[in-house]
Amino acid sequence: MAAVMERPLLPAILAQPRPAGWEPRRRQAEARLETLDWPGTRQEAWKYTDLAALKALDFTPGALAMVDITARILPEARGSRLVFVNGRYDSHHSNTSNLPAGVRLLNLASASELAHELGSLPTPGGTDPFAELNTARFQDGALVIIPKGIHLEAPLHVLYLSDQDGGQATCSLPRLFVVLERDASATLVEEFQGRGRYLTCAVAEVIVKENASLSHERIQRESAEAFHFSSLAARVERDGQYSCRTITFGGSLSRSTPQITLAHEGANLTLEGLCLLDDAQLADTHSFIDHTVPRCISRQTHKTIADGKSLAVFNGIIYVRKDAQNTDAQQQCRGLLLSTQARVDAKPQLEIYADDVKCAHGAAIGQLDPEAMFYLESRGLRPALARNLLTYAFASDLLAGIPVPSLKRQLRQTVLARTNAEHLETLP
Amino acid sequence: MLSIRNLTARIGENDVLKGIDLEIKAGEVHAIMGPNGSGKSTLGKVLAGHPAYEVTGGEVLFDGRNLFELAADERARAGIFLGFQHPIEVPGVSNASFLRLAYNKKAESQGRDELDPLEFDDFIQEKIRLVKMDGSFLDRSLNEGFSGGEKKRNEILQMCVLEPRLAILDELDSGLDIDALRVLGEAVTSLMAPDRALMIITHFPRILETIQPDQVHVLSAGRIVRTGGMELALELEERGYDWLKAEVAPAGRA
Repeated sequence: MAAVMERPLLPAILAQPRPAGWEPRRRQAEARLETLDWPGTRQEAWKYTDLAALKALDFTPGALAMVDITARILPEARGSRLVFVNGRYDSHHSNTSNLPAGVRLLNLASASELAHELGSLPTPGGTDPFAELNTARFQDGALVIIPKGIHLEAPLHVLYLSDQDGGQATCSLPRLFVVLERDASATLVEEFQGRGRYLTCAVAEVIVKENASLSHERIQRESAEAFHFSSLAARVERDGQYSCRTITFGGSLSRSTPQITLAHEGANLTLEGLCLLDDAQLADTHSFIDHTVPRCISRQTHKTIADGKSLAVFNGIIYVRKDAQNTDAQQQCRGLLLSTQARVDAKPQLEIYADDVKCAHGAAIGQLDPEAMFYLESRGLRPALARNLLTYAFASDLLAGIPVPSLKRQLRQTVLARTNAEHLETLP
Repeated sequence: MLSIRNLTARIGENDVLKGIDLEIKAGEVHAIMGPNGSGKSTLGKVLAGHPAYEVTGGEVLFDGRNLFELAADERARAGIFLGFQHPIEVPGVSNASFLRLAYNKKAESQGRDELDPLEFDDFIQEKIRLVKMDGSFLDRSLNEGFSGGEKKRNEILQMCVLEPRLAILDELDSGLDIDALRVLGEAVTSLMAPDRALMIITHFPRILETIQPDQVHVLSAGRIVRTGGMELALELEERGYDWLKAEVAPAGRA
């Protein structure tokens, strides 16, 4: 195998010694990485996502550095914030004073036994080399256990900051594992941000147990030069509610791979994605929703606004297993193209092996509706304003449900700015 | 105020307007009636600047200016308002914010002061009373999930906010029950003034009982085939449109 490899994956990262713990999983991940070549566009999963720009770079492991988190503070989460800088836990900027008694918070890197017992997977995502890389080399991570019946009033805010090191591109490998025990409920906000050129390979795992409820916001505001890979694996158990929304603004190349298993009857999933792309950005979403048992519900909505020469890739599989009778699954993918050079490649897929199910999917990619444009213009709005208003409106319904007011405000401002509609500040 | 001279227009390969002549003076109410497909709605859309229609001949002067030199939004700011037969739903844009935006854009172009959200709230409360709209519709997305009647009410609310000089109302009566039609008809009538004019596009004469027209024009196959007063509308109610077609057809062939 080694003979056909053009260049090993991220040699400077793999050359680092394996951190202690997480054996044999780190060793196994490393062994798999040694046999894996760079993903190429001839593979279906990477068909539209060309990694040439990433291959040309070297990355060194990031170190804990000075950061300013002022602009990213969520007032609602002042006492429930975890900060990682270049993949290292930043105890100075973290503050967990407001977490209710009973909530357990551990460094995931030194809690591999417990994580394993709780159901953590060696590497979520199977053959995703970036997730394998995380397993092999992650140094810090958070394990959060919300015990039975506990309702987390304040959102848990996990902030991942990255920074290049002088002129050198860095690599962050943050990892998160969140478990909600029976009847627990919480809001989780993961937010990625950084400066300069760097690579983030993040892994998050989520388990929502019986009748528990988690609202999970993933905000990707990486720098314009960043590469971002985030793998999410979630399992939802009996009557559990999991709502996950990924909002992608940044990164020159980013890929998000949510894999959600509806593991027991009555599990309910809402999976949403919003990508706002410009210039030569590429954002790839490969989602997999696995209906394994009867009577589960999933609702997936993915929206992209693509401007400039950007490319959005959406590949969403809803997999309904033979036993998953009475599955109710809906998937919708919508793309708005703001320039003639922007592209959205959408592939919604239903794979159904049960015979009594209610499933629907659809994809619609296009420009702004000329009838809607005329309607707004006929009320005296200039075409540019009408266009910005409709663009904002396209995105805004995915922001409406964000349960953290300050975050919702922030994101609205970002979306307003990205759609050149800042002066429409009072819109819903 | 509005002079239409030998106006012809088409959509795609279809010639829809085949030579319209019409003169509307300030203070007047004109009804445009006619069977389906006669070109009534097209006339309204062409006047408002819908991009799908191509003007192939003739001219339209609005206050002496060539209307076709103005884009749709410029016509709106100049005082033309089209009440849509099928108003568009715009999810994600609140009705109140949209109304304020439209009001302020017009105010800006006229050199008047814009209204901030609080001032606008006072202003709009008075307007929603005029059209008897439930205030909760202001907080909803523009027309999203509104019933046919609610959409029409919202069109007239927009008209009340923008106070156009020439309002063209395209089948305001479709989707409205009799009570709502009366309320909206009265609201429209209350907006009339000596320097304003109305063009009511309708299939049925009932709306004209509330909004009294000065002239009634009957459109057939892209031409005005008859002009009269309210008695013409009543005659149409009684006899339908077929007798007109029969009368006009030979002339059309000549």
